[in-house]
Amino acid sequence: MRKLGWFLLGLLGVALAQDALVGVKVAGGWVRFPARPDMTAAFLALENQSEKPFRLVGVKSEVAERVEVHETFQEMRDGKMVMGMRPVASLEVPPGGRLELRPGGYHLMLIGLKRPLQVGEKVKLVLVFQGGLRLPVDLPVEMR
Amino acid sequence: MRRWVFPAVLVLALLGLGYLLRPKGHAFYGTRLLNPKPVDFTLEGPSGPVRLSEMPGKAVLLFFGFTRCPDVCPTTLLALKRAYERLTPEERARVQVVFVSVDPERDTPEDADRYAKAFNEAFIGLSGNLEAVREAAQTFGVFYQKSQYRGPQDYLVDHTATTFVVQDGKLVLLYSPDKVEATDKVVADLRALL
Ligand SMILES: [Cu+2]
Repeated sequence: MRKLGWFLLGLLGVALAQDALVGVKVAGGWVRFPARPDMTAAFLALENQSEKPFRLVGVKSEVAERVEVHETFQEMRDGKMVMGMRPVASLEVPPGGRLELRPGGYHLMLIGLKRPLQVGEKVKLVLVFQGGLRLPVDLPVEMR
Repeated sequence: MRRWVFPAVLVLALLGLGYLLRPKGHAFYGTRLLNPKPVDFTLEGPSGPVRLSEMPGKAVLLFFGFTRCPDVCPTTLLALKRAYERLTPEERARVQVVFVSVDPERDTPEDADRYAKAFNEAFIGLSGNLEAVREAAQTFGVFYQKSQYRGPQDYLVDHTATTFVVQDGKLVLLYSPDKVEATDKVVADLRALL
């Protein structure tokens, strides 16, 4: 029993060390089940546990030809409320802060899906930060 | 003693009047139109023309979007799916969710319909020629415009994302993209309409 305790503590230590090493982590996220087979969006939250800012500058995925960071906006045009989205060059996660990508806000656009995605499967994404840090993440495909 | 009687009767009468004039029925969560506006269009479905006024007796939930829209459009269509699937089969038979593409150059009627049916098999998707789509959008005060244009196959469409409810040929109710996500309230509104 005590051995198991030490083992778990060890695992926790490794996990903490890795987070400390990287300084930024992904706290939950999902890939939206594509309503048309060739594109979809992904959403996730980033937590910066360090004292310096992290800047997301790109995303890659083995399932998409390209991934863009987008922002959904709402504005009046011609006296009518219009929604749209536009690419953003980068996103900053401030020191000790959290950045949430969610429907109606920031999102990742997976453009040119190379194969159909199934609800429940995990999709691999690599988040690229300024300075070269690459953070791999597996996100589940969900209908939501 | 007598002088108490009149005021007492008056108070009782006023209470009674208040009771009779109490607000009746359902307070709608969606925006109710004071003067329901007559609306109609004919657009293309995968198996031919579909006319809005030829869905009599149904409450039609109408949303304009484009199929290469992975954030705003699915968020609303998922909300409509949640509300629709909350209804009983009898209620569902009297509700029709319709998706209209404001990207008719890329979305064929088949594309629009396949997209709508990815949310629920009973939803229908429509497209049409540029003029017909423009007219339908104008009828509902929907604005749309291409953006981020990189080529004929690579652009986005900014668009009004309101959900419209049409009943007996008239626009009766509308929801902003925020409001339409409150499934309980949308379901209560639909039940009050049916
Ligand atoms: Cu987008």
